[in-house]
Amino acid sequence: MTIERMLVTYEFEQWLYREAKLIDDIDFDGWFSLMHPTLKYQMPVRVNKEGTERPDYALDMFAFDDDIELLKIRVDRLKTDYAWAEIPPSRTRRLVNNVRLLDYVPNEKAVVNSYLLIYRSRSTDIHHDLISGERQDEFIYENGEWKLSKRFFIVDQTTINTRNLAIFV
Amino acid sequence: MYKTNINLEEMSQKEAIEFLHETVQPEIGSIPAYLLGDPTIYDLEHKRVFLKTWIFIGHESEIPNKNDFITRDVAGYSVILSRSADNQIRGLYNMCTHRGMKLCRADAGNKSSFTCPYHGFNFKNNGDCVGVPLQKDIYGESLDKSQMGLHKIRVESYKGLIFGTWNDEAESLDAFLGEFKWYIDIFAGRAEMEVVGPPQRFVIQSNWKIGADNFVGDSYHTMVTHGSIAKLGMVPSATYSKRGYQIHTTNGHGLNLGTPNPDFAFPEELKDEYKANLSEDQYEVLSNLKNMIGNIFPNLSFLISHTKIKGQLISNTSMRIWRPIAADKMEVITWFLVEKNASVDWKKRSRESFILTFSPSGIFEQDDTEVFTDITAAASGTMPLVKQLTFNYTMGLHRKPVTSFVGPGVVYDDKFTEANQRNFYRYWLDLMTN
Repeated sequence: MTIERMLVTYEFEQWLYREAKLIDDIDFDGWFSLMHPTLKYQMPVRVNKEGTERPDYALDMFAFDDDIELLKIRVDRLKTDYAWAEIPPSRTRRLVNNVRLLDYVPNEKAVVNSYLLIYRSRSTDIHHDLISGERQDEFIYENGEWKLSKRFFIVDQTTINTRNLAIFV
Repeated sequence: MYKTNINLEEMSQKEAIEFLHETVQPEIGSIPAYLLGDPTIYDLEHKRVFLKTWIFIGHESEIPNKNDFITRDVAGYSVILSRSADNQIRGLYNMCTHRGMKLCRADAGNKSSFTCPYHGFNFKNNGDCVGVPLQKDIYGESLDKSQMGLHKIRVESYKGLIFGTWNDEAESLDAFLGEFKWYIDIFAGRAEMEVVGPPQRFVIQSNWKIGADNFVGDSYHTMVTHGSIAKLGMVPSATYSKRGYQIHTTNGHGLNLGTPNPDFAFPEELKDEYKANLSEDQYEVLSNLKNMIGNIFPNLSFLISHTKIKGQLISNTSMRIWRPIAADKMEVITWFLVEKNASVDWKKRSRESFILTFSPSGIFEQDDTEVFTDITAAASGTMPLVKQLTFNYTMGLHRKPVTSFVGPGVVYDDKFTEANQRNFYRYWLDLMTN
């Protein structure tokens, strides 16, 4: 690995850590400002296959399938007084690791894959939910900043063990 | 009134049924809280409701080709639903008849036979046992394979909806659905419908009846629980949910029909197909439909929802089962349906609206699950039972049904009543006590 590639990988690690911090701190506007207008934000339904056939997720059904406008609706909704699913908000901790730079064109675009583990705790419940999966992200460089233009989150459960996805992945 | 010695677990079955008769009173709008959290009730329900009645398995479009199969749970037991070479749909208990191993672990696929991972017994997808490794050598002539076929579950379908029952004495699906078919026609039979993708699955710490109750008759909660949707301008106003009809039929089925609608909620170019599939009266209802929310007893809920997204009106059709896992836990399995002959753009926008509103991330869905979880926690344990806490289901008890509506069943002329929940619990009590 070249020094340049190491530095770029570090840069995207920091980008993902900062993103995690913004949503864990329920700063949804701050989080939303990281998105590129051409965003595609998807989470396919994972399925059980007989053997090792891949992909083992659906190509035509998703738990999230948002563009920038739909994601904005979700963010706006969380700011109304009626978004009961997150009143009070869940305590979440997004742990990002295994960050790998797959493609990179300086000042233009990048493809970055990473692993994500979300810890979610609600109210007084001592039980927590864990959501684990892989993120396949794409970035576009615009006005001196990297913006997220695509997120494809492959969750590790076929039956999701959390009461809803009122939180972001 | 305060009896600290009430303990369903220590009662005989006869005493427990007597206790249900005394405490569950849909006629006067009183439903006890313990029904939503007591493990003895949950066990009785398994035997007296889920093993007795018809349970939804899947949609015919999920297995369109010969040898297609899906595996689904029916009342706690895994079933392979397969379309065999003779184009017949069968439900096979997913258990090898030799030693009981689960035959198939995939959600879906295309296979003409299934081989047991334990000793290699092989079964055709019509259930016949066709292969036993080393049969001649180890069994001689003594093993009769014709007696080794997979156990079958009774399977019948209506308008593409496939149901199964473990009860060989159950009435036909047709008779079980009865007059409610008139409304199922609008939901599932208005056009050729297809399920898109696999169903979505998630687990909630909630009793299954809260979901059924919510869909069968609770339009009232929409104003508050889903207040955020009106705030975002996706539906006209917070009180829009009152307008329309609440309807129920025998066997606990019920729905809420939101009407009128100044806009046609479905693809315009399919009007001829709708007219060909529906009676004139049914088509009239479809033309004015704003939404349709209901429950086929016990746990198949369905929904047509019409909202404005990105400045454009769009409807989506979905269904879900509330699959009991424990007294305080269920798996929600949701399917998205769309007209097969709709345009690519309509299908795309309709799926998008389903995912945004009623998938696990849906902005309607997520507020409901928060409520379901907290109700279950509050109703569970000994206190609600010994203190005999009850919930109030009296809304609309003073009202008379209308006779002017074109469809069958008991009809009320707006949606804010709890007649459907009372009807649901009346039939539930019937099954539990008979």
